[in-house]
Amino acid sequence: MGPGLLGYLIRRLLWAIPVLFVISLLVFYMLRLAPGDPTDTLLRQNYTPEAAQRLREKYGYDQPIHVQYWKWLSNLAQGDLGVSTRYPDFTAQEVILPKMWTSTQIGFFALLITFSIGIPAGIYAALARGTFLDPLVISFWLLLDAVPYFVLIPLAQWVFALQLGWVDLSYDGVYSANMILPVLTLALPAVAGVARLMRASVLGVMGEDYIRTARAKGLRESTVVFTHIARNALLPMITVIGLSLPGMAAGSLFVELLFGIPGIGREAFDAVLAPDFDVILALVMFGSFLFVAANILVDIAYAVIDPRVRLGEARG
Amino acid sequence: MAVADVSEIHPGLERAETPRRWRTLRVLVRKKIAMLAIAYLLVFYACGVLAPLVATHDPKSQELTIEARFAGPSSEHWFGRDALGRDVFSRVVYASRTTILFTLAVLLTGGIFLGLGLGLLAGYKGGWIDTGVMRVGEVLAGLPTLILMLAITASFRTQINDMAFSLADNTWLSVEDARTFVKFVIIVGATVPFAWVGSARIVRSQALSIREQTYVAAAEAMGASTRRILIRHILPGVMPLFIVGLSAGMAAIAGAEVALSYLGLGIDEPAASFGNLLNDVQSPYTFRQHPHLLLAPAIPVILFFYAWNLLGDALVDILEPRANHY
Repeated sequence: MGPGLLGYLIRRLLWAIPVLFVISLLVFYMLRLAPGDPTDTLLRQNYTPEAAQRLREKYGYDQPIHVQYWKWLSNLAQGDLGVSTRYPDFTAQEVILPKMWTSTQIGFFALLITFSIGIPAGIYAALARGTFLDPLVISFWLLLDAVPYFVLIPLAQWVFALQLGWVDLSYDGVYSANMILPVLTLALPAVAGVARLMRASVLGVMGEDYIRTARAKGLRESTVVFTHIARNALLPMITVIGLSLPGMAAGSLFVELLFGIPGIGREAFDAVLAPDFDVILALVMFGSFLFVAANILVDIAYAVIDPRVRLGEARG
Repeated sequence: MAVADVSEIHPGLERAETPRRWRTLRVLVRKKIAMLAIAYLLVFYACGVLAPLVATHDPKSQELTIEARFAGPSSEHWFGRDALGRDVFSRVVYASRTTILFTLAVLLTGGIFLGLGLGLLAGYKGGWIDTGVMRVGEVLAGLPTLILMLAITASFRTQINDMAFSLADNTWLSVEDARTFVKFVIIVGATVPFAWVGSARIVRSQALSIREQTYVAAAEAMGASTRRILIRHILPGVMPLFIVGLSAGMAAIAGAEVALSYLGLGIDEPAASFGNLLNDVQSPYTFRQHPHLLLAPAIPVILFFYAWNLLGDALVDILEPRANHY
């Protein structure tokens, strides 16, 4: 961690602020300018133009958009993301954070499984290059990747809950046997992507001179594969791992919908349909922030692990 | 012939650029998996384009009798019938037409117009155009795509009837067709902003390296216009990787429509889409009772995604034998 890293970090953080600002401006205007506001869904059968107008005044939707945006922005600066129109007694944070935590826990286990299958599968496929096993391994995982969640889930539920009776379909919290199925349906389709990238990375390392040197020295094949090839091939995977972290917190709409998990994916869907302006905005801001943060984290990880990387220069 | 002159000075260029595309094609033909994928895609696209000829029944004609509703596969109705007694095979055929139209619309606007066009301009022109395009791409890449796609489609859906009626009044479209058309425009409009960034980046980085080639400098020295340089000199070199990027992304583009339609925010009844067909079976209990309602649309659409995945994978493997670094 030299002074270059610190300066780089400061520059990246400073650059993140205008990006997040533009995103908030864009999404705010998009939501407010698009047809439809929350009054219809809030009032339902009690809808009268007067009642709708009163509600708009209460939430400030009757004011010019730039005034609304300024108010939202100054509230944000004080750590206030606004109120939910669907749950009048809760702020946007209070609606989002518990559900985001549920999704993050499930996403974490899914990610763990994805990488612990994907990385060995990719190494195996690369070492088997030229034989039929290489395309077979990759094609198998690509097939799973091609099955939409809303096909995979009813099928998996039919096999494991109705036919075999190993699990049941209710939601008993994150740490219960019933969560095995959702975690696996989240994890397994993503293996293909990881395996493919790992395979490409291993193939790249295998062509390097130091691998030939290692073999020429007469090292055992297992030593070459595990300490020379695999370790160096894992380096580019930092990007993949780092950039898939924000996805954990985003949850998966279909998995949560079809397994009845009260997570953030479903919450986002409900907020969009309402529309619950402040909750949608809070979700977008959280999502974008996590994405930016993950990018910076990846760069730092490279600088710490690989001394050849100098930060501040453009990376491809 | 500027290109020929330059390649005489640099014999390596000739070997690297022109015959490479033919080599790609030859290697591709040798890959059996890729050929199978292409064959399936041809059948799928033929079914969609020729839907009125392939379909055995009217996909919208209902028959609300106990025998007809949920009837299993038979020689008359190959894939069985749905809750309203409609022929599932015909609905699947028309659903493939929806998929084709959607992917084509997104490819033309997001892929070729924005992705290729902006990528070429950014890579060749550089300067503020490059900065602008890349910064916009950076902002878009940071956005949570699904939430915004849902937000865009959900908010514009309230206007479907207004827009459809005015469209039906002013054109030869019937109200129902106009409504489907408006829904199409909405989901294409919600997908395109997020669909171009990837291919624009690929095209830009390729264009950046080709810009430095001697033959481009020669063409510039001879006073060729920007348009001519882009189309005659840069585009051919960019195309292979651009096509790889597109074929790798096709499954995701088609998947966006299927997912939106599944959620009721895309193409919905009575028009057929794989999304709204699959929405008929949401629980394992329904699947146990009427397995054909899930399997009939699921198998063709899974194979469609799978074929694009395999084709993209094969192309990446051919064009980038050595690993790409990240």
